[in-house]
Amino acid sequence: MQKRHFYPLLLLLSLFISSAFAQNRYTVSGTIRDAASGETLIGATVRIQGAGGQSAGAANAYGFYSLTNTAGDYTVTVSFTGYQTYTKNITLNGDIKLNIELQGGSELQEVVITATDRKDENVRSPQMGLDKLNMKDLDNIPVIFGEKDVLKTIQLLPGVKSGGEGTTGFFVRGGAADQNLILLDEAVVYNSSHLLGFFSTFNADAIKDVGLYKGGMPAQYGGRLSSVLDVKMQDGNNKEFGVEGGIGLIASRIKVEGPIVKNRGSFMLSARRTYIDLLLQASPDSAIKGNTLNFYDINAKANYKFDDKNTIYLSGYFGRDNIGIKNLFANDWGNTTLTVRLNHVFNNRLFSNTSFIFNKYNYSISLLDEDNNVTATSLIRDFNLKEDLQYFSDKHTVRFGAQATHHRIAPSDITTDGKSSFNPLSIDNRYGLEIAAYISDEWKVTDRLSFLYGLRMSGFSLLGPGTFNTYDADGEVTSSKNYRSGQFVKSYFYPEPRFSASYNLNDENSIKASYNRNTQNIHILTNANTSSPTDQYVMSSNNIKPEIADQVAAGYFKNADNNTFEFSAELYYKWMQNQIDYKNGAQLIANANVESELLYGKGRAYGLELYAKKTKGRLTGWISYTLSKTERQFDGINNGSYYPARQDRTHDLALVGIFNLNKRWSLSANYIYNTGNAVTYPAGKYNVGGLTTYYYTDRNANRMPHTERLDISATIKAKETKKFKSSWSISIYNALNRKNPYAIQFRDKENDPTRTEAVQIALFGIIPSVTWNFSF
Amino acid sequence: MLKRITYLSLAAAGSFFFSSCEKVIDVDIKESPSQLVIEGNIRDGDTDGMIKVTRSVSYTDPNSYPAVTDAEIIVTDKAGFTWHPQQRDVPGEYYFRIEGHPGETYTMNVKVDGKEYIAKSTMPQPVQLDSIGITLLTFGNEERKVVAAYFKDPKGVQNQYRYQLYVNGKLTKRVYANDDRLTDGNDIKEQLFYQDDEDNEEINEGDVVQVQMQCIDRPVFKYWLTLADQSQNGPGGGVTPGNPPSNISGGALGYFSAHTLRMESLTVK
Repeated sequence: MQKRHFYPLLLLLSLFISSAFAQNRYTVSGTIRDAASGETLIGATVRIQGAGGQSAGAANAYGFYSLTNTAGDYTVTVSFTGYQTYTKNITLNGDIKLNIELQGGSELQEVVITATDRKDENVRSPQMGLDKLNMKDLDNIPVIFGEKDVLKTIQLLPGVKSGGEGTTGFFVRGGAADQNLILLDEAVVYNSSHLLGFFSTFNADAIKDVGLYKGGMPAQYGGRLSSVLDVKMQDGNNKEFGVEGGIGLIASRIKVEGPIVKNRGSFMLSARRTYIDLLLQASPDSAIKGNTLNFYDINAKANYKFDDKNTIYLSGYFGRDNIGIKNLFANDWGNTTLTVRLNHVFNNRLFSNTSFIFNKYNYSISLLDEDNNVTATSLIRDFNLKEDLQYFSDKHTVRFGAQATHHRIAPSDITTDGKSSFNPLSIDNRYGLEIAAYISDEWKVTDRLSFLYGLRMSGFSLLGPGTFNTYDADGEVTSSKNYRSGQFVKSYFYPEPRFSASYNLNDENSIKASYNRNTQNIHILTNANTSSPTDQYVMSSNNIKPEIADQVAAGYFKNADNNTFEFSAELYYKWMQNQIDYKNGAQLIANANVESELLYGKGRAYGLELYAKKTKGRLTGWISYTLSKTERQFDGINNGSYYPARQDRTHDLALVGIFNLNKRWSLSANYIYNTGNAVTYPAGKYNVGGLTTYYYTDRNANRMPHTERLDISATIKAKETKKFKSSWSISIYNALNRKNPYAIQFRDKENDPTRTEAVQIALFGIIPSVTWNFSF
Repeated sequence: MLKRITYLSLAAAGSFFFSSCEKVIDVDIKESPSQLVIEGNIRDGDTDGMIKVTRSVSYTDPNSYPAVTDAEIIVTDKAGFTWHPQQRDVPGEYYFRIEGHPGETYTMNVKVDGKEYIAKSTMPQPVQLDSIGITLLTFGNEERKVVAAYFKDPKGVQNQYRYQLYVNGKLTKRVYANDDRLTDGNDIKEQLFYQDDEDNEEINEGDVVQVQMQCIDRPVFKYWLTLADQSQNGPGGGVTPGNPPSNISGGALGYFSAHTLRMESLTVK
């Protein structure tokens, strides 16, 4: 079994050798940028057509492209959504360096310039299960409190389910919330939510590109089962200085960017802070006074191009949340990330990126009561070193690399003062080493058939020092062993094959299929839908096996009317092994024996995703629909039979429409409908301890009522001057003021205690908001 | 205790965001077969022990639980002493006079319809409840009265506590259970967090409050802790509910608890 996986490697090696001997073939390569800002354009499509036929490719994450063909005359065409198509004639009689700048085109102009456009990546690329978010759409999609948000927008895509109203937690294709790999400039963001999930850590101002892989993950990604959300920050304008910002009801933000050295380097600094609590200090409502509730975050990035071959990028994120009640308790948490990257172009076909990444998530929670004074802190910290190489040849784009990540988890440190009823306690730090090597190849076999296939070898080792217990099913210690620092406690190795193929029926229709395996070694212990700042992280260990998912998917993709319409239908089935839940009455926080409280099981998820999108014209938007099921099976839960996972929802529908009325006005609306989450209602009741107590039979066998919501917004551009632009965004969240179910509780009837009643709790009614945005 | 902070932080966020709105809804719940429910309690000292045997009802039925009047019950201790609890005035409630001894393990054997249900529970050493008091929680200028129990946790032993809070003689509908995992050997101030809602009324001046503190064994603690977790339905629907792990074998709901009991009362000023 193991042996078979080496054949693709051999194949790839032979391919290197053969392409090195090819005759009279030349390469055109370079970087594609926005003409106004100098931002590299990730994913721009480049095509050369001429003497040797046609070659096409896409700019990589740093805007670099490379196309090779036989000598002769060619026309280069570069296209990218929201930009005017670039064409140039070249003669390929030697390797050519061609850096390209695209002119931005307004939405209205774009209708006109489509004649030679080929924005059909979604049909042609073998990649499936990938959704790209257009950051320009984000400005127009209405959201709660008027704060545009990447994570809430992806919840409108097929296959992605929201963790609950207003929250940024999401579930992809039946997976759990901790099974999403969330990357910001390659750094893992462990907790992507602010204010208990009502905002995400991603400040849309600072973000250039968002890609969500729901399946068919390319081999360079690994470590989570369900999805990869790859978020890339803007580099900053390398031509001129600019300031933009927004003032909203509960938060304001500002961004400054500009060249460090014109055309060679730039910086971007973006900051955001909420001030609800500042406003509320002035509130006459005394219940609110003296409480703390805010967050802020800072995104910073700088890059410098030493020469055509070497560029350095520095990027960082720092965010913090504070919640507290005066003299009672305080809670703060946040992520810090730092990424240093070196791009090196070895030659016009071989592109290298080396990354060093630091990221951490920590929280602190304090009780401020005199007699119960206590502070508990917890931390998860990674150091990550990555080398990624891309080799571009005629028909192949080969990507290979390796990475190593060192994890430290400090589960709980409790400090107190002398008077407190709490004792100081420090739970041993846990260390882990994750390593991976991968190789993948995007192979254009013929004009119609393409493969993207590869293999990721992933390994995880739990490292000493410390005492490591092994537990039986009852949670009793069966053995216990001491390890020295750096000693291997337990190691796991898994090959993760990845494969996707596309076959173009014609220019506008294709079918695709994919299979991928993913493994996961960092787990969150949770039983709730929402993410909590105090989520407990554990690594794979002698007790916890790595989670494994195998997914197969097949899809039909169609573009119509010159790529104005995109349509896709994808079917998937996913098997999940070594899923984690915990026992009733488990004590997860500050528990050195937390692994004794766990249960292990498996899962399966399957579904159909339909997606129709209009990308051009005055009216743009999409309709997404998901029909799906996701189930779990644990010994000891639900008599060992499969039951619906909490996030199981049969139907999910989202409609998004953006209408550009004229140059000043644009209107937008979205509408969502989804089946209620699977919940466990009581089957019967009895009395113990003088209280009505509920009796439960089947896990998650009931449904909450459905959710339905309409949000609308309008953006009005004020009169522009050459230097100063501004606009107003007015949005109404839940315009129909529908009381959507958030939780169902059961209780004795107030006026008739001999009966019980079910009570539906809704969070948000209608919420209007207004934001003023500016740039100069 | 740390769990409580999360609860408080949600409450704080809630005070800003949630125009949280409730409505009573109809839920489609099928009838469920009736389950046997056994609730057995023995306390320290020379008192009545009581074992209550009832049956569960369907969700849609009124809250009245059929008594099981033909149960055969035997309670034994390690030395082999046996008690035969008998019904008195209330059907389904079986009483027996017993002097409960800390450290003793009691076994309850209940026979109903030919089926046997057996549970064991060990009475922990008693911990004295020193006093109770009223503490004030301040949310801005709004003050909330919270009852606190004061006692000294014995060092070096694992203790589990369960509290019952009575206001004007009426049991409040909240489950309190805690252990000394993080507080071993210290002077404890256990605040019994309590919010006025449909089930419970706010504590006011002149109210008489009583705290009953039980020292319970580990399995009984897990039972109450599970119930306490589930009654804490924060945003997101809280944890997935399930039946608490019973220490009774044979498939009955409920528990058998041998515990020590201490209580204190005060009038709120």
